[in-house]
Amino acid sequence: MSVGIDRRVARNIDPFLAGATLLLCVFGLVMVYSTTRYGLHPLMFVRSQALHLVVGVLVAGFILAVDYRSFAAGARWLYVVNLLLLAAVLVAGRSSLGAQRWIPLGPLGQFQPSEFAKLAIVITLARHLADRPGPYTSVRDLLPFLAHIGLPMILIFKQPDLGTALVYGAIFVGMLYAGGARRRDLALLGAAGAVATPLLWRVFKEYQRRRLLSFLDPSLDPRGAGYGIIQSKIAVGSGMLWGKGLFAGTQNVLQFVPEHHTDFIFSVVGEELGFIGAVLLLLLFYIWVARGVRAAAVARDRFGALVAVGIVSMIAFHVFVNVGMTVGIMPITGIPLPFISYGGSALMTMIWAAALLLNIGMRRQKILF
Amino acid sequence: MDRDIFERRLSAILVVVAAMLIVLVVRLWQVQVVQGDYYLKLSEENRLRVTPVAAPRGALVDRQGRTLAANRPAFTVALLPLEVRRPAAEAAALGKILGMDPAEILLRLADGRDRPFEPVRLRRDVPKEVIAAIEEGQLDLPGVLVEVEPVRQYVYRSLAAQIFGYVGEINDQELRRLRSAGYELGDLIGKDGVEQTYDAYIRGKNGEIQAEVDAQGRVVRTLGTVPAVPGNTVVLGMDLTVQQVAEAGLGGRPGAVVAMDPRDGTIIAMVSHPAFDPDVFSGGIKAGVWNGLLKDPDRPLLDRVIQGAYPPGSVFKVVTASAALQLGLVTPETGFYSPGYYNLGGWTFHEWKALGHVNFIDAIAQSCDACFYQLAQRAGPNAVADYARRYGLGAPTGVDLPNEGDGVVPDPRWKERVWKQPWFGGDTLNTGIGQGYVLTTPLQIARMMAAVANGGTLVTPHVVTEIRSLDGKVIARIAPPPSGRVNVSRETMAILHTGLAAVVTRGTGTGVLMPGLTVAGKTGTAEASHGKPYAWFAAYAPVDQPRLVVVAMVENAGFGAENALPVVKLVLQAAFGIGESGAAPSGTPGAPGAPAQAQPAKAPAAIPRQGAPGTAAPKVGQ
Repeated sequence: MSVGIDRRVARNIDPFLAGATLLLCVFGLVMVYSTTRYGLHPLMFVRSQALHLVVGVLVAGFILAVDYRSFAAGARWLYVVNLLLLAAVLVAGRSSLGAQRWIPLGPLGQFQPSEFAKLAIVITLARHLADRPGPYTSVRDLLPFLAHIGLPMILIFKQPDLGTALVYGAIFVGMLYAGGARRRDLALLGAAGAVATPLLWRVFKEYQRRRLLSFLDPSLDPRGAGYGIIQSKIAVGSGMLWGKGLFAGTQNVLQFVPEHHTDFIFSVVGEELGFIGAVLLLLLFYIWVARGVRAAAVARDRFGALVAVGIVSMIAFHVFVNVGMTVGIMPITGIPLPFISYGGSALMTMIWAAALLLNIGMRRQKILF
Repeated sequence: MDRDIFERRLSAILVVVAAMLIVLVVRLWQVQVVQGDYYLKLSEENRLRVTPVAAPRGALVDRQGRTLAANRPAFTVALLPLEVRRPAAEAAALGKILGMDPAEILLRLADGRDRPFEPVRLRRDVPKEVIAAIEEGQLDLPGVLVEVEPVRQYVYRSLAAQIFGYVGEINDQELRRLRSAGYELGDLIGKDGVEQTYDAYIRGKNGEIQAEVDAQGRVVRTLGTVPAVPGNTVVLGMDLTVQQVAEAGLGGRPGAVVAMDPRDGTIIAMVSHPAFDPDVFSGGIKAGVWNGLLKDPDRPLLDRVIQGAYPPGSVFKVVTASAALQLGLVTPETGFYSPGYYNLGGWTFHEWKALGHVNFIDAIAQSCDACFYQLAQRAGPNAVADYARRYGLGAPTGVDLPNEGDGVVPDPRWKERVWKQPWFGGDTLNTGIGQGYVLTTPLQIARMMAAVANGGTLVTPHVVTEIRSLDGKVIARIAPPPSGRVNVSRETMAILHTGLAAVVTRGTGTGVLMPGLTVAGKTGTAEASHGKPYAWFAAYAPVDQPRLVVVAMVENAGFGAENALPVVKLVLQAAFGIGESGAAPSGTPGAPGAPAQAQPAKAPAAIPRQGAPGTAAPKVGQ
């Protein structure tokens, strides 16, 4: 395994992807500040977020230095450790808002294994798909992969973290589709999932059911779950074309929108920067995703290509569900906006995902001189 | 796999992502540009505000349904942090009107800064004149809101004040502990007594008003109301009439009275004097008043019945007698001679009276110290302590009230540990007559007497008997099981019965004799470290099938027979509906028109009829 970056390899770093990542992170810091500058410690949140950003970038440096193929070698271990961590959350986790998602780390704070788990699943599933290259001629050929993500998915579902479990679904579909699964087989699995949903209804916690119901009809519960949707729409809508100006959002100041620095941060983007700002942000995400797809296309091997597809699927799903939630076209599932939402574990995961993409892209087969 | 297929599929993924983003952009266009004006109007001119509506606390009622604690509407003055432009000036002005320290107002304002759109309550139960002044000066006080909220009202003021407890705003510690149970900042919570123990039942569920408010925070339109759900009704075992008689009987003297059903531990009356005036808590207690209550040497916040620790004096002879009987040291016929003192190792222990020759029954009846010195010495300190513990002394009774005391049952090991001193022979003698290191709560004594009365069961005392929903349905019965049995023989119990009955018929307790009711009891006069002795009388009645235990203790009052016994007598008369003359009762004082008055003459007013617990009084738990 080669550690250290060859100069010619380094020259291959995709400047658009790196630049988009950097812009998103800085923009995220600004928005976190905008949403949390009230109270007695106006810098508390943004400082913590910046700290995670720095740590995340430092670790990302190491990720870049190592050939991504060494991650494939450690995939089995990664899978086991990941399962253990997820199980540990259920045993030792700290709950918040009715769910158990965090493991306390004493003075270091706490971390949310389900965030890192997303990346772990992308890497291990890519290895799995690379080891069994197909062709996949029936739905039965897909079952080992279903089992692969099913185990961690169940653990995450038990926390319960519906949103993250759905992210796994998106990663699965994206990677299997790119990996060559037949469309009809994937459709069959999707249909099976849809049929199973009524059964899941009974497993859902009360608050999850309420969230889903109030998504269908926000006026059912204007103070509770529906409240977030209504207030978020008011915030976004009142931004109009140009927005009220950075740091000038009234709904933001009033904290009408719940969780407005984490899951609902996009509502403040919409309010303060308007339609123009919101679309520019979505454009930035599109550039990011497009460069990610390019990394998949130029990857030197199946493993790298599939990791890239998994990461792209993950980010795209996050963006769509999160933004969709703030404008009332998606249910509230507690999925953060990548790079922007406050939350250290998620931010670091996303930065490392970007580093992996850069890694895959710069170690492509044909080195351009 | 074919490279071409792979790349085609990558393109398809990119197309899907682009489509999703386009969906989002279209939706943003719709919300921000097409409907933007509408949402802007909502956000700037009309703000949706949700104001919590405090739920009225559930009523406390006595066993006949008479209301003991309810609610009355009162004005609460609150401040909306968002609207306050000049905090210092406004705090000064408000402080003057509300009689609050401006620094405290600023502090509360700072607490609320994290949620500037939520009103911060400054003061509850503000007088009408002050509200009028505020409304007149509204222009000078932006952000001030006046709300009408229910405030706790105790119908009989300081009656049973420590038993009911009081209500106050939830503090940080309680909030941290109870947040998961749905408590929120600014909630009222029971801080002591029944209010605390049963808070979960009493508190109800806050409602809310969803309203559109204008930029000044004034309500433009009410969008919806979720009504507050009042708390459940808590039914106490207390009989208001008996309680009132007990309160009056004790009067202004510091002390405690407790009346309890010996069959199931239901508390019929519980008095601790001096008490406090619960009205000082209704608007949020002022720091000065609170410190005054805490520092008052008479300790009005203390529930003496469960938290006091008093030497029981001769009432403790029940324990010493049980030990002696069980160990076979004595029979009812055993003769004693009391010259008026007792010698042990060169020390002389004086006795209250030279009784001469007495048998064991008379030794109990006359409260012969010399006799019990002798029995205690022969039984030994460990046996006496063992029997004291069997009767539940030295440990909390498990009553449904917070912060119960446990008293002290001394033995040589205890003295070694706590005082680092050896046990002396004199310690055994003192313990044997309930002096020295023995400390008990009046409730422990009541439970001990109940155990004698019911044949050896250690009941678990409880103030509350059931919880009822607003529509009168019983949602919980409070009938804690007994904590155990005393484990003394039936013969021992019979002899104790005889002795305690003799106390009243021919001993120190003849003062309680009354026509129409047989009573057994024991006097106690326990020397205090300061002042006159503590006066005790502990009784149960009727002797053959006891339905009530009454214990009275008056601090530094003198002889039990003279000071505590009359209180017990009054309580028994009230509870069993016996007039002073012995004639048929014309009605129990203090409760005209109450359901019990409809019962035939001679029927006990408060005590369930014998042999059929739960038939006379409304719905007493098993």
